[in-house]
Amino acid sequence: MSWPILSVTLFLPLAGAAAIVAIPASRTRAIRLALMAVTAITLGLTCVVLVAYLAVPPAAAAKLSGTANGQSLSTIHSPITFQFQEQVNWLQSGTSLSHLHPAFNEGNSAFNQAAPPPINFSYHLGVDGLSVWLMALAALLFLVAAVVLSQREARLRTFAVLMLLSEVGVLGVLTSLDLILFYFFWEAALIPLYFLMIGWGDPNRGRAALKFIIYTVAGSLFMLLAIFGVYFITGAQTGVYTFDLPTLIAAQSFVHATQATTFSLFGHSFTWLNPQEWLFLAFALAFAIKVPLVPFHSWLPDAYSSGTTPFLVFFAGIVSKLGAFGLIRYNLTLFPEASHTFQPLMLGLAIASILYGALAALAQTDLKRIVGFASISHLGFVVLGIFALNVDGLNGAIIQMVNHGIVIAALFICVGIVESRFATRTLSQLGGLARPMPVLAGLFLVVTLAGLGMPLLNSFVGEFLILLGAFQASPVWAVLASLGVILACWYMLRMYQGLTQGELRLPGTEAVSEQLQAVSRRLGRLDVGPVEVVALVPLVALMLVIGVYPAPVIRYGRFSAAQYVQAANRQTATEPALASSRAAARSLP
Amino acid sequence: MIGAAAPGYPLHFVPAGDLLGILPILIVGGGAVVVLLWDLIRPRGQEVWLAGLTGLILAAALGTAIGQWVANSGPIVVFNGTYANDRFALFADLVVLITALAVVVLSPGYLRRRGLAEGEYYILLLASVAGMLVLDGALNLIVIFLGIELLSIPLYVLAGFARDDQRSQEGAMKYLLLGGFASGFLLYGMALLYGETGHTSLTAIHAFLLRDATAGHVDPMVLAAVGLLAVGLAFKVSAAPFHWWTPDVYQGSPAVVTTFMSVATKVAAFAVFLRLFSATLAPYRAEWTVPIAVVAIISMIYGNVVAVAQTSIKRLLAYSGIAQAGYIMIGVALGRPDGTQASLYYLAAYAFMNTGAFAVVTILSRRGEDCDRYSELAGLGRREPVLAGLMSLFMLSLAGFPLTVGFFGKFFLFSAAIHDGQLALAIWGILTSAVSLFYYLRVILKMYAPAADVGPGEEFEVASVSPEGTAVAAPRAVGPAVLVVALAGAGTIVLGIFPALIYTLLQGISVVHG
Repeated sequence: MSWPILSVTLFLPLAGAAAIVAIPASRTRAIRLALMAVTAITLGLTCVVLVAYLAVPPAAAAKLSGTANGQSLSTIHSPITFQFQEQVNWLQSGTSLSHLHPAFNEGNSAFNQAAPPPINFSYHLGVDGLSVWLMALAALLFLVAAVVLSQREARLRTFAVLMLLSEVGVLGVLTSLDLILFYFFWEAALIPLYFLMIGWGDPNRGRAALKFIIYTVAGSLFMLLAIFGVYFITGAQTGVYTFDLPTLIAAQSFVHATQATTFSLFGHSFTWLNPQEWLFLAFALAFAIKVPLVPFHSWLPDAYSSGTTPFLVFFAGIVSKLGAFGLIRYNLTLFPEASHTFQPLMLGLAIASILYGALAALAQTDLKRIVGFASISHLGFVVLGIFALNVDGLNGAIIQMVNHGIVIAALFICVGIVESRFATRTLSQLGGLARPMPVLAGLFLVVTLAGLGMPLLNSFVGEFLILLGAFQASPVWAVLASLGVILACWYMLRMYQGLTQGELRLPGTEAVSEQLQAVSRRLGRLDVGPVEVVALVPLVALMLVIGVYPAPVIRYGRFSAAQYVQAANRQTATEPALASSRAAARSLP
Repeated sequence: MIGAAAPGYPLHFVPAGDLLGILPILIVGGGAVVVLLWDLIRPRGQEVWLAGLTGLILAAALGTAIGQWVANSGPIVVFNGTYANDRFALFADLVVLITALAVVVLSPGYLRRRGLAEGEYYILLLASVAGMLVLDGALNLIVIFLGIELLSIPLYVLAGFARDDQRSQEGAMKYLLLGGFASGFLLYGMALLYGETGHTSLTAIHAFLLRDATAGHVDPMVLAAVGLLAVGLAFKVSAAPFHWWTPDVYQGSPAVVTTFMSVATKVAAFAVFLRLFSATLAPYRAEWTVPIAVVAIISMIYGNVVAVAQTSIKRLLAYSGIAQAGYIMIGVALGRPDGTQASLYYLAAYAFMNTGAFAVVTILSRRGEDCDRYSELAGLGRREPVLAGLMSLFMLSLAGFPLTVGFFGKFFLFSAAIHDGQLALAIWGILTSAVSLFYYLRVILKMYAPAADVGPGEEFEVASVSPEGTAVAAPRAVGPAVLVVALAGAGTIVLGIFPALIYTLLQGISVVHG
């Protein structure tokens, strides 16, 4: 690629944010149009990347980048193919420092240890079959959020700017190929998200935001330590000190598992876990909090129930996907052996999330909390697919990440519509809305069915593949997970039926008809308005398209899934796994 | 004829090279005298011109230091091996001078608002800066002590500069008493070290200790001396458990003095800490590295945990300063080049973010009283969007978020700690950083949250000033002071995105231990 399309895509929202700052705050219409334009152009660019990526046959691309890019270690041995790579040096420390330090260069050998290794990191971008999909999803959801964003929202300009900054952060996480750059975007994205959380939403949003930030940053900081661990351990064993992801992935083939770590406690020394396993756990903790997996999930219900609809569209839709993305991109590739060691742990957490999320969703009465716990359950499926550690499971997980983003965004839009009309989200106060709001009920039905994994809708495809993969890993996991599918029908239909069916029920004491009239007068309508239709229809259409004709999504996701499985299976099986998956991909329609 | 009274002895002039080596000190010290004299003859009520003159003097010293850095004539050891004008000293000089310059720009408006405008303020400030510059390059125990006292004594006065404010008086008295104690510790340590080695020169001490250590001999008297020196210096950098003066003094002192004290003093004291421990006392590294690491960990834990419970901004920043001292101490405890570099990097980062944060407090201070209560920050996001945004930036930077210089400060420190196998230091650093988010983000929340939204732990706090009252009384941000905040903010972001700007400077740094 001759021009840096990834950088352009990445920084377009930033430029957009700068432009929006220049618009006077009072001109809300212009601000909203500008926001939509920026997010739409970003979506266009990600689609260009997606199409360009898909246009190159994956196998050919693997060969191409293997020869064109002269870096020996990174491309020849790296099992993951990254395209559209851009690399600019960011911080390059010199080589040895010792000669500059007379103080430390004394003749005495005891004080003249080896010079510290140079610290190098670069601005390195690239995409693979995992991140292209998520980039497109992210851009789509930001556009949808921009559409849903009301022109009457308080401090609209600030909201728009923060939203675009979050988009930069999210796209940066998805495209960065350097551990430091990744961490940089990973953490920096939290800043606009924090301000969005404390500025708009329910009265208890301050507490929710603080909880979210402390949870995620605590996890991330351990990941930062682990990043240094990867850097120094890989460097010590291979002589290559780098934060560059492709190089590190390639170098892991040479990093042999060292001995277990020895601890001494009260004079007794014992050994537990080797360094690679510690590093795996540190990365997994950061990602598990972000997903969230069950013991680390308690920030989520608060955060989801206090946010505004446009915020939740992209926050629930894409930010939570970043955790699953990290598990695939970093844990599987950098710690292949530990991934196998901890497979039961991660699968156990996934099952716990599926079942706990589902049961908790059944117990909630707040609509946003129901959706939040449903989201935990669904993301449990994604993690289940990832740690099935086979091509089917991972392929399903990639598809399901996209699906979940679409479904959860649509669910939050529907719930947001109900909340905006009746100023309540309590399930027991509402009922029979299908009669006054038929269009909403229809759209909501499709979204609900997609959420519970109905065949011919998108989630079915992903869940089917995930269960297939889990079954290959062990039938027990698949059986437990399918309980989650059953529970999904229950909690999704409970919400749908409670809201739309039965006798018409509204909060408050006045007569129902008076209330409906009052709402209609206030908003000029009761049912879904044109803006909301514009936001919902593309999502619903995608649900149908992916559900009816999933072949392209499966086929293109499969190549990357195979690559990641190959990366995770290094030292156990390499080439055959890739070959068989390619054959499988060809045999699909 | 008087001059030739002793004909056998040629007249001794100080060699020009020696004077060149301490040129920044000469400018600042001489400048203090000039300001002192001008203060006598100037017309009343023209304090702004004094500030201007002080600023010019500091700028001249800064320019000289930059010139010496660029000329890079190698480490110059002057005055018979008692002072080194190496890049290590110059780097610390730069940070101190830039901070002092920022404080001088902040001062006139603040002093006028609080009714403290006096000429002595600038003289004391310059004298203290001169002490810091002496410390940065001191290569002799006597010079170190000279620098410490030259730094401290003007600060004792400055801390009590608000004469009609009881808290200021109380803080100054505490600072004086405890500071005197710390100087005593330091002096006793120096005496023991001199008694054992027979030298006051760091060069000679290092050589002596190196012979000692190579022979496998650990001298208990030297250990006692090292311990006393560490206690004295830990007091000056306000590391726990030697921090007891910090919260009261930071809260009581006028905000501009706190700004100066919290940043510049720490930089100079750490400069001497780093030079003394990672260079001169390096042969005894095996003995002192664990105690210093323990002090670092205690500081990180104590500072961060206690900061959570604060309802005063200045006390919060004081405890945050204790915690930050703990982080910087990681680099001292490592006692290796990468640790030293990381500490220096963090000091530079700290100068930007902490000066910025205190500068905001300075701007918000009203007549007769500093902006100190949390409740005074309420609604700042609406009243002063620019200041609130910048304050948020400094809080995020102190918390170590990426995009800010604080991130790379912690980055280099933790990286150095892990590389040297000091995992415990890194892990405690990480854990306490997570705790620190709580109070840094609460400041932001306070500024932006709607009035009804009271953060956790603040329910008991009753604001004596109604929000409307504050809004009326709040001063409009004044030009030059806002410029300082804006520059600190720009530095925080630019260095947060391009860490190489400082890191490459530190690459070529050299430490002369003699």
